[in-house]
Amino acid sequence: MTAPAVSFTGVEKTYKRPRLLGAEYHTAVKDLSFEIQAGEITGLLGLNGAGKTTIMKLITGLLFPTEGQVRVFGRSPSDAAAKARVGFLPELPYFPPQEKPAAALAYYGRLSGLSGPELSLAVESAMHKTGLDLYAGKRVFEFSKGMLQRLGLAQALLHKPDLLVLDEPVSGLDPLAIHDIRGLLAGLNSEGRAVFLSSHSISEVEKLCARVLIMVRGTLARTVTRAQWEAAAGGLEAIFVEAVR
Amino acid sequence: MRPVLPVGAAVALNSFSESVRNRFFTIFAVFALAAIYASVLAGVMAVDQEGRVLADMGLVLMELTVLAYALFNASSVLLREAETKTIYLVFSRPVPRWAYLGGKLGGSLLTSVLMLAVMGLMHLLLLKLRGFGVPPGYAWALAGSFLKIAVITSFALFVSLFSTSSVSTLVISGVLWTAGHFAAETRFLASQAAGAKAAVLNAAVWLIPNFQLFNARDAAGAAAALPPAAFLSAAAWVLGTYLAALWLLSRKEF
Repeated sequence: MTAPAVSFTGVEKTYKRPRLLGAEYHTAVKDLSFEIQAGEITGLLGLNGAGKTTIMKLITGLLFPTEGQVRVFGRSPSDAAAKARVGFLPELPYFPPQEKPAAALAYYGRLSGLSGPELSLAVESAMHKTGLDLYAGKRVFEFSKGMLQRLGLAQALLHKPDLLVLDEPVSGLDPLAIHDIRGLLAGLNSEGRAVFLSSHSISEVEKLCARVLIMVRGTLARTVTRAQWEAAAGGLEAIFVEAVR
Repeated sequence: MRPVLPVGAAVALNSFSESVRNRFFTIFAVFALAAIYASVLAGVMAVDQEGRVLADMGLVLMELTVLAYALFNASSVLLREAETKTIYLVFSRPVPRWAYLGGKLGGSLLTSVLMLAVMGLMHLLLLKLRGFGVPPGYAWALAGSFLKIAVITSFALFVSLFSTSSVSTLVISGVLWTAGHFAAETRFLASQAAGAKAAVLNAAVWLIPNFQLFNARDAAGAAAALPPAAFLSAAAWVLGTYLAALWLLSRKEF
């Protein structure tokens, strides 16, 4: 039996903020347990401060859990073998403004251990998949928000990850860019990649995901499958509103 | 398993090209040009010691310019990468933290080498225009400056991992730089002091690098080669502060 793409078991993350006298503690997520299966598109919904970004950072090894266990393909998220199978798109990623997309991608490709013809091929393929090949001659400062998001997605795809972790992938994009990114994510999923995305847009999550996790103040309030929200009056939005109120 | 050394080299080259592209690099380069030219004017006023004054002032100004840029870069590089979330794209990949830190240090030192080389050429050109040859021990003086910059850059990277702002890193590193130029005086005071004062001064002797060791141009005749102890001391300080920084970075969350 293959390990799930992501598994959280009793996870808690508490941030410590040093103060003049002592420290202030804030628990972002607590007693969190869930799994994401390989090849599945899972959405993460929640209000601001519900713990969505914390979960993404725990999966990518940028944060360490205070309690409990996080596993990515059966390994610790800090393990190089686990990281090699994950592509991460943070919200509003930054790229050096003077660079052309291929140069920016080549750097991240090298960090993923690619080199030579393999690197050139990966850059070319990621640019083609995200539609960036049409803007290859432009520099990053000339990019619109939608193009920057495509570049962010392209860097996450370079090393052909089995799991894509996307923090607000359609945030602030125009309808056409949202449509294109939705198509791209659906295409990646059809290649067998698992996608885990957080969003404030319920309709986007509804269109893309097979299952949705609803976070309320750091705890997992509900897990809803497509069949459940399709059967519910008011759809996913009604279930979400009921959960967060 | 893929080799990780090319990953460190990729970080170093990226850091180097980012530094060179940075507008502050241009500002420092213009400042260095103006400062080295100003040393020509000071040299003219020195009458019969013009060659010596020109050489010494130029070397000091070059060192201070590189120091300013190296400190500015080292104190802000990690903070900037965290603020722009670039570090998320790095550490979500299989990039070992030692390779990342080594790459950042390497990139910063490469920038310092470039600055010293370009300013050194400009300086020698000015000396030639004034009718002087290459001052004795010139290459050793540049090598000494580089060793100092390597030590202070590594130290600043370490401090930047626990300080609350780049300004506090600059201040702490500036204090170390100044104190390191008074190591002999500190050692003398320690030998004269007693009790707690002696303990503090003796601790300072061990905890502060002796930057005077790297001042080849202060040596007799200004033509002396750097002693092996200077290279060993610089290597030990760079390695020590790098390992301390790595210890902090490996526990750091983003």
